[in-house]
Amino acid sequence: MSVSTSTSATSTVRRPASRSSEIWSLKRFVTPAVVLVVLAALLLWLSSLTLDSIEVRTLNLDYIIARVREHLGLTVVASALVAVLAIPTGILLSRTRSRVLKGIVLGIANVGQATPAVGVIILLAILWQTGYLTALVGLVVYSFLPVLRNTMIGLQQIDENVRESAFGMGMTQNQVLFRIELPLAVPVILAGLRTSLVFCVGVATIATFINAGGLGDMIVNGLKLQRYPVLVTGAVLVACIALLIDWIAATAEDVLRPRGI
Amino acid sequence: MNLDLNGLVTFWARRWDDILELLGEHLTVVALSLLIAMVIGVGVGTLVWNKPLPRSVVIAAAGVALTIPSLALLALLLPIFGLGWIPTVIALVMYSLLPIVRNTVVGLREVPPAIMESALGMGMTPFTVLLRVQLPMAWPIILTGVRVAAQLTIGVAAIAAYVAGPGLGQFIFQGLSSLGSKNALNFALTGTLGVVLLALVVDAAFVAITRLTTSRGLRA
Repeated sequence: MSVSTSTSATSTVRRPASRSSEIWSLKRFVTPAVVLVVLAALLLWLSSLTLDSIEVRTLNLDYIIARVREHLGLTVVASALVAVLAIPTGILLSRTRSRVLKGIVLGIANVGQATPAVGVIILLAILWQTGYLTALVGLVVYSFLPVLRNTMIGLQQIDENVRESAFGMGMTQNQVLFRIELPLAVPVILAGLRTSLVFCVGVATIATFINAGGLGDMIVNGLKLQRYPVLVTGAVLVACIALLIDWIAATAEDVLRPRGI
Repeated sequence: MNLDLNGLVTFWARRWDDILELLGEHLTVVALSLLIAMVIGVGVGTLVWNKPLPRSVVIAAAGVALTIPSLALLALLLPIFGLGWIPTVIALVMYSLLPIVRNTVVGLREVPPAIMESALGMGMTPFTVLLRVQLPMAWPIILTGVRVAAQLTIGVAAIAAYVAGPGLGQFIFQGLSSLGSKNALNFALTGTLGVVLLALVVDAAFVAITRLTTSRGLRA
C-alpha cells in the first residue's frame, strides 16, 4: 500500500492524527438514533390502539421476526451472491483489451438500470415459477449491474502513471492487480455494493407479490384487509431496515477505505 | 411458459389504444413530478447552497427519502392520501429531490468566485447575480440531476400501479394477477418493455434539452 501512497499524485501528505476518531464522530450516530426514535414512536402508537383479531394475528413479535428474517435473508444472500459474481466478472472484463465488449456490457448495464424491478420479478415469476428462488434470482440479476459497473469504473479510473510505476518496480500483472489496482478501486466498488444492498432491501419488499415472503407481506396484507396498523408497521420496518443497512454500508465504506486515499 | 411472438404482436395490435394511453399516463405522472421536484429542489438548493449546516441537513434528509423502498413509501402515504395519482406524485417528488437538490448545490458552488465578483462589480444585486449568472452557469449540472431523477421515477412509477397509480405498471400487475393464463406474459412483457423504452427515449430527450437550454456562452 505504501507504494501507491508515495507514487499517487493526488495522495495527501497530511493525514489526520486519528482515523478512528474521524470515522466515529457524533455525526455517525444520527441515523441509528433516528431509527430508534421512529421505532419507539411506532411502538407507542401501536400500544395506544385497540387491535382486532386480524391485526393481532400479524402484529405480534413471532410473526414480525419471521418476516424480518425472511427479508434480511433474501437481501443478504442476494448481495453476497452479487459480490461473489459481479466483482470477478468486472475484473475479468476490465482485463480485456476489447473496447467493443466493454461498450456492450456498459450499454447493457445502462439499459438494465432503466428496467423496472417489478417488471423483472413478475416476468421471472410468469416465465419460471413463484417463490423464494425466483425472488433471489431476480434480486441478483437486478443488483448485479451496479456492482459490475462500479468495479469496471473503479479499475478504469486509476491513474495510468501509478500502474506504470508499479510495473517499473518489477511487479507482475497479478501483483499490480491485487496490490495496486484493487485497493485503489475499493471505494468505488464498495459504493456499488452499497447501492446494490439498498436496492435489494427495496426489491425484497416487492418479493411478496410472487409469494417469497418478507416484510412486503405485511404491507400487502394491510392494504388488502384495510388494516392500516399492519400496513404502517410493515412499511416503517422496511424503511428502518433500509436506512440501517445503508448506514452499515456507509460505515464499512469509511472503515475499509485504504489509508492514503 | 414460452414466448409466442405472433401472439405478442396480435396482443399489441388489439390493445394498441390501451398501451398508448398507459404510456401517456406514465409520461405525464413522471413529467408532473419532475416539474414539482424541480421547483422545490432548485428553490431549496438556491436557499442553502452557501450555508454549510442547512445544506448538509437538506441533503441528508433528501438522502433518507431516497433510501426508503418505494413500496414502503407508497404504503406510508396511503392512509393519508388514499389511492391513485396523489400518493404516486408525492412519492415520485420525494425520490427526485435528492439528485436535483444535490446537483443544484454542486452547480451553484462550482461557479468561480471571480466571475461572481465581477458580476457584483458591474453593479448587479446578489439576486440578479443568482438569476443571471449563477443559475445559467449551473443549469447543465442541474439538468443532469433532473435526468437522473427521471430515470429513477420512471421505474418507481411502475410500482405505483399497485396503489392504483397511473401508467404502465398496471399492465405489469395485470400480468401478475392473470398468472397462468395465456395473456399473463404478454401483459407483463408489454408493461416492462414500455417502461424501458420510455426511460431510453426520455434519456435521449434530455440530451437534446440540455443542448437547447444551455446558455450559448457555455456551449462553445
